[in-house]
Amino acid sequence: MSTSVQRQSFREGLLLGAPTLVGIAAWGMVVGIAMVKSGLSVTEASVMTLLVFAGSAQLASLPLLAAHAPIWVIFATALVVNLRFVIFSALLAPHFAHLPWRQRFALGYISGDIAVGLFLQRYPLETPDPGKVPFLKGLIYPNWTAWQVGSLAGIFLGAAIPAEWGLGFAGTLAIICVTVPLVLGRAALCGVLVSGAVAVAAFRLPYKLGLLVAVLAGMVTAMAVEELTEKWTKKHA
Amino acid sequence: MPDAINMNTFDVWATIVVLVLATAATRSTFWLVGHHITIPKRVNEMLRFAPACALAAIIAPDLLMDGAQVQFDPLNLKLLSGIAATIFYLVRRNMLQTIVFGMLVFTGLRLLHVFQ
Repeated sequence: MSTSVQRQSFREGLLLGAPTLVGIAAWGMVVGIAMVKSGLSVTEASVMTLLVFAGSAQLASLPLLAAHAPIWVIFATALVVNLRFVIFSALLAPHFAHLPWRQRFALGYISGDIAVGLFLQRYPLETPDPGKVPFLKGLIYPNWTAWQVGSLAGIFLGAAIPAEWGLGFAGTLAIICVTVPLVLGRAALCGVLVSGAVAVAAFRLPYKLGLLVAVLAGMVTAMAVEELTEKWTKKHA
Repeated sequence: MPDAINMNTFDVWATIVVLVLATAATRSTFWLVGHHITIPKRVNEMLRFAPACALAAIIAPDLLMDGAQVQFDPLNLKLLSGIAATIFYLVRRNMLQTIVFGMLVFTGLRLLHVFQ
């Protein structure tokens, strides 16, 4: 089953994603600390992180739990906080349409932000390629593991780490490194700048909706810039 | 633990269940039914820019905001360290070094700031 092509692709994914693992673990740790500090028991927090694997949804649920919000409010909040993953899954899923449904479900479930960014850098086209599945696994298995190790460390020894160390900043730095190579050309650069600005401006929107608005604004901007550039070059060719 | 007020055990387990459902619904639905849906060409073209835009939308508030307050001043340590790390990455193209470098700059600035 595991041919040399597959092994090599897995390795390639692993090597590409490896540097982000430090940042991912640091982020996991921040979420782990937040869970126990807001009153979850060690067991509850561990099960939550092992099963859910969605940091921002977990963080969003904590104040709601403390406020005894109705369960459907927590569900709706988590859905909205996770909405960007719908866009991500629309991008990734077509590459894997040939797999059995259980495998598609599992791969989708553990493909987070960084995995999507790195995968699309390596395979921008939807053409079939035997390296895609092992490459994605090379990205997401270590990513899941690093998150869980960080999270559990946060849960068990969280109280010992002072908040002002700003450990979570390592996660932000990892994302910066994944984003920079994705910014190819003027259109993407404009999209990224608009998206970042809108994310800050719309930060106060509830349920992290600002994030979604920012992504949409960024995509529309990038598209518009690309079309204008094309028109301009045609006119002046 | 003084913080651990009134966290009802049943609520916590119910929350874990709905978080799993919400995550599965958003991350996996397209993987399960996506091939039955045809995305219009223009939308598909736009989606190419989604990962970069989404990642930028995650980073920007981390760098520019302190809580819900926008911090543009030169004492914004995360912004300074983020810019330094971006330049470092553009030059060296090495993620791990960039993360370590960024954290060192951030910690260095933070400690300097404390002693000011």
